[in-house]
Amino acid sequence: MLHKKRCVAMLLAGGQGSRLGILTRHMAKPAVPYGGKYRIIDFPLSNCSNSGIDVVGVLTQYRPLELNAYIASGTPWDLDLVDGGVFVLPPYQTGASGEWYSGTANAIYQNLPFIAQYNPDYVLILSGDHIYKMDYDAMLQHHIAHNADCTIAVRQVPWDEASRFGIMNTDKDDNIIEFEEKPKNPKSNNASMGVYIFTWEKLRKYLIEDENDPNSSNDFGKNIIPAMLRDGQRMSAYSFNGYWKDVGTIESLWEANMDLLAPVPEIDLHDKQFRVYARNLGLLPQYISETAVVDNCLVTDGCVICGDCHHSILSSGVRVDSGAVVEDSVILPGAHIRSGAVVRRAIVAENADILGGSVVGEETGNIAVVGIGVVVPEGTKVAAGEQYEG
Amino acid sequence: MKSSIMGLIYTGERDQQLRELTNVRAVAAVPLCSRYRLIDFPLSSMVDSGIRNVGVIMQRNYNSLMDHLGSGKEWDLHGKRTGLVILPPFTTSDNVGVYAGFLDALHSNLNYLQRSKEKYVVVTDTHMLYTTRYDDMVAAHEASGADITLLYTRDPGMKRLQTGRYLHVEADQTVTAIEVDPATPRLDCTYMECFCMEREKLIEMVDTAVSRGQYHLTRDLLMNAISNHTMKVKGFECTGRAWHLDSVQAYFDCNMDLLSPEVRANLFPADRPILTKLRDEMPTRYFPGSSVKNSLLADGCIIEGTVENCVLFRGVHIGKGAVVRNSIIMQDGTVSEGAELDNCILDKQTFVRPNSRLIAPRSYPILIAKQMTV
Repeated sequence: MLHKKRCVAMLLAGGQGSRLGILTRHMAKPAVPYGGKYRIIDFPLSNCSNSGIDVVGVLTQYRPLELNAYIASGTPWDLDLVDGGVFVLPPYQTGASGEWYSGTANAIYQNLPFIAQYNPDYVLILSGDHIYKMDYDAMLQHHIAHNADCTIAVRQVPWDEASRFGIMNTDKDDNIIEFEEKPKNPKSNNASMGVYIFTWEKLRKYLIEDENDPNSSNDFGKNIIPAMLRDGQRMSAYSFNGYWKDVGTIESLWEANMDLLAPVPEIDLHDKQFRVYARNLGLLPQYISETAVVDNCLVTDGCVICGDCHHSILSSGVRVDSGAVVEDSVILPGAHIRSGAVVRRAIVAENADILGGSVVGEETGNIAVVGIGVVVPEGTKVAAGEQYEG
Repeated sequence: MKSSIMGLIYTGERDQQLRELTNVRAVAAVPLCSRYRLIDFPLSSMVDSGIRNVGVIMQRNYNSLMDHLGSGKEWDLHGKRTGLVILPPFTTSDNVGVYAGFLDALHSNLNYLQRSKEKYVVVTDTHMLYTTRYDDMVAAHEASGADITLLYTRDPGMKRLQTGRYLHVEADQTVTAIEVDPATPRLDCTYMECFCMEREKLIEMVDTAVSRGQYHLTRDLLMNAISNHTMKVKGFECTGRAWHLDSVQAYFDCNMDLLSPEVRANLFPADRPILTKLRDEMPTRYFPGSSVKNSLLADGCIIEGTVENCVLFRGVHIGKGAVVRNSIIMQDGTVSEGAELDNCILDKQTFVRPNSRLIAPRSYPILIAKQMTV
């Protein structure tokens, strides 16, 4: 018998994130790099670490290799513990049967025995889709104070975007009275962040009932939450006001990176009281040469910058040769921009090699993407919005 | 594969040469090149040579060294079977705590040497900066049938007046002469204060020497062994760049040397990472209006001013309009708005007030001690 834990976190990391196109062809969305030296999953994992949650189950399914290798023993997030830690939970076979995770609720259902080992009071459900810093413990205190069966984190979104989200309609005491998935005429702009805290016994009950319902699509938003509301369970909304960005599309991933270059970024990654941890590659310090221009950029370990870089994110081990130009772009780890190449409004994926005389992206229009390890030959033009795979 | 080599790093002697830099820390813990400490280099070279059992003999001021090394996790030396073994001074009837010399220090830690299992031991001091393959050195030692093999360099830049240990090495790598602290070095090779030999032989040698009142390896033991041919002494050449960090000036020049990409490529071979203690910092932010040329920077810096020919450590802040040239600024240092620095070394957490001017000649850099406000 393991020690009882007050709260266990389950992180849904199995999605492909197909709207990220060629960036997620070889890895799950939570493994996608962000902000120079992070990956998306660093945010929920660091949030757990900063919130005193020390058991995290990570549910993987789509292309798990990159994610498994990245999480490994959980050391970067202080989750390599004897009593707890991070556990990668892929789908598994039982006896004659065995199945893939058929939905978010089913993924947790299949891992009820994992949660039960810790006999927790509460279970926190997370996804690996967003960039945000959040103290889950404050949300847990809210859940306890409201004597709730389920608490859903909500964030106000612009009214004109509200119809893209799951919208929570609440009374004055934060009780959720209605949930509408992507409503045409939203009654509020409180969007669900996909962050849930359940009282363990209620979660177990509803997951088992949901699994026994052949018509269910085994999804938290579509099935579990509506069922609990129908039964009059105590559902509370927890308002979160900090930076929160979905990075589900090429454009939003690019925007979220550019947000870090604001004069005062809305998300503070410098905050020593709430650090965002990442696996460190142990590269050399960054070197900015005599010929380099580095203007309004984030640059990290292992970079060798000799060219002109403006308003861009240069990730671990990126090389920009003398005479190359990088503007308004996100260059992912290990990419090489050679002399004479021009990269504008683009995401250049890991280890891509942009040869001289090629032009990636345009000054206006959609974001261009160069795939992982792709060589862009001399003289190539990659148009705005194009996903170039060679 | 199980390694037949163990490592021993001595961090004891001569920690006054670097003045304020070593008032608060051992030489081995001196920060350099934006994110490293001196001990990272021998330690990483050892790990890279397949060595899994590394003892670190501590002497004075070892607090920051302990903090840096931790459990040895960053070097994969936190194993159950073997790993990092910290050997602080301790006082017993055999161990006075303050070592009279290198052999004395080894003698006080004989127990560790005795209970280790590896056939060979590589022993190194920490005043020299270099990377080498210790496994190649031991292979050469084994092939030559030597009693002891000394690491040396032919780099003329390693020669010093009044101090240092110099060797003459024949083409077959036989060491035929040694001189200790000559006013003017006459021999052509510099001994890099690192040797290898069989572990059992080292135990025997140390025990014999100390029981006869000999405490210094070079002066008392090697000199005699070479001139009287009592031991077969061979050399192993370190062909890469090396630095002797025996003065503030040498420390300063070494950091400035590392601004050259060629020099860095020599000290940091591409396939052999130098590992160090990690700190989770965000990437460095270059604000509009900043200008950075020919500089090394760690993560977590905020650059709003002008930086030329500098080595900046983690978390350094260069304010608007500040101009910093030819300087080394260690972790969490702040250079406020409008300040001007040239040829300065700022130890950790120093604070330079707005519009201050700290201008020194290249030949005598200003050294600001840890946590000072200027």
